[in-house]
Amino acid sequence: MASRWTRLVLVLLIVLALQTTLFNELRPYGVAGQVMLLFVICSGIQFGISNGAIVGLIAGLMFDFVVSTPAGLGSITLGVTGATAGLYLYFFPNPIWWLRLISITIVSLIGEIYILIAQAMVGLGVVLELRLLKIFAVVATINVLFSPGFFLITRWTLSERKKDS
Amino acid sequence: MLVTLDLQDSPKVAGLRSVFGTLFYPVEGVARVITRPVGNAWYGVTHYNKLLDENSLLRQQVAQQEGATVAAAASVRLSQELLALNGLPTLAGINAVTAQVIGESPTSFSQTIEINQGAESGIRVGMPVLNAAGLIGKITKVFTNRSFVMLITDPDFSISVKVVSTGRKTTDSTVLGITSVTTSTAVPLEPISNTPDAETTTTTTTTTPIAGFTAVVTTLPATPKGLTSITIPSASELDVRETGVIQGNGPTRQPTVRFIDNSLRFGSIEAGVPIVTAGGSRSLAPPDVLIGVVSRVVERVGSAGPLLEIEIAAELTNLSFVRVLLYQPITEKKSP
Repeated sequence: MASRWTRLVLVLLIVLALQTTLFNELRPYGVAGQVMLLFVICSGIQFGISNGAIVGLIAGLMFDFVVSTPAGLGSITLGVTGATAGLYLYFFPNPIWWLRLISITIVSLIGEIYILIAQAMVGLGVVLELRLLKIFAVVATINVLFSPGFFLITRWTLSERKKDS
Repeated sequence: MLVTLDLQDSPKVAGLRSVFGTLFYPVEGVARVITRPVGNAWYGVTHYNKLLDENSLLRQQVAQQEGATVAAAASVRLSQELLALNGLPTLAGINAVTAQVIGESPTSFSQTIEINQGAESGIRVGMPVLNAAGLIGKITKVFTNRSFVMLITDPDFSISVKVVSTGRKTTDSTVLGITSVTTSTAVPLEPISNTPDAETTTTTTTTTPIAGFTAVVTTLPATPKGLTSITIPSASELDVRETGVIQGNGPTRQPTVRFIDNSLRFGSIEAGVPIVTAGGSRSLAPPDVLIGVVSRVVERVGSAGPLLEIEIAAELTNLSFVRVLLYQPITEKKSP
């Protein structure tokens, strides 16, 4: 059986492919859904700070390699976002479904803000405009809608399996 | 560290990107095939009425523009012949690669598209990208078989441009030694009867003093019957060009042109004035590629000069096929 990190890379490849195809084309209100971000957030919420950060770093690096932004920028932002999402488990060890949805909304907003900050820090142009609010709202809504499915995917991907004796 | 390396164009990071791209693009291709019906269904639901309206509008526009296209094509051909005759560079002399747009930026913060041509086709970073309407952006990353294009609306996009103004409207001189008119357009004169010279060769002398030019005897070709006026614009009527820098402001705001010199000779800039690339030995685009027209002029105090808001000629939201000009400025070309 493949280790959970191997599974993670393979699953992330598929999620990344969905990000660059389906979610890149279905743009409600002109905003692309961020399923890589959602995957990282779900990982953080279910598996804690360190796992969230590692998943974020790997997902971000893969994302960086297919977009034109500097490599490493996505790693930093998604890594920090994963760690931020992991704080949920620190404060609320017992899963409460509605609290998870609220957390996904909040961390989605924070993740998008991290991306903006990181872009500004490396000198990429960032235009502060009202459209950003629309981006935050659409990304958060899509993430909440798809989160039940992604909780299942991340749980399957990252859970440790007992070796057959 | 990775960010630093990539910002310095490290070949190792480029190699990693290339390897990852080789592994990832088959997966993406499969995902695209599988998810296309979902995307089409989504478009069918959300864009049906819009497409119907757009379709009827486009039919009307096509009908209107068919005639204009023929005339424009003739003008372009004539212009290129004249430029070639005078040894000036033309877009027709620059090789180009046609590419299909295969994706947009997966993020909502950068305005980039991905095209299906890359280094194998001769594309290099910095090359200008056009569609039928005009400039749309420039190449920012090149892989073997694909490239990224930064659109003109991206906040990081900037390129030197020139604003072509018709200057201050003053007097025209009409030759054939008959009259001078004081309007800015050529006024056709009454046909001149009993002028045998008009069918052979007419020798005239311009008498309007033009700064920097010496009046010379001009020999004009034979004038066809019925046409009796040839207009020579005065110095103030010649096209005046000012250079500036265009910069993107995101998808919802129009790009702006800055650093326009507020000179008297240039006169005031009005909405509708065309903006074209400036060209030059360091510019990434050849001269005279259309970008758009001035939609608004924002006057600024002091010596900052006016700020021009530009309505881009190309429609950036529905790009399907683009043309990459295989153009590199002289300063970028490697000596053989």
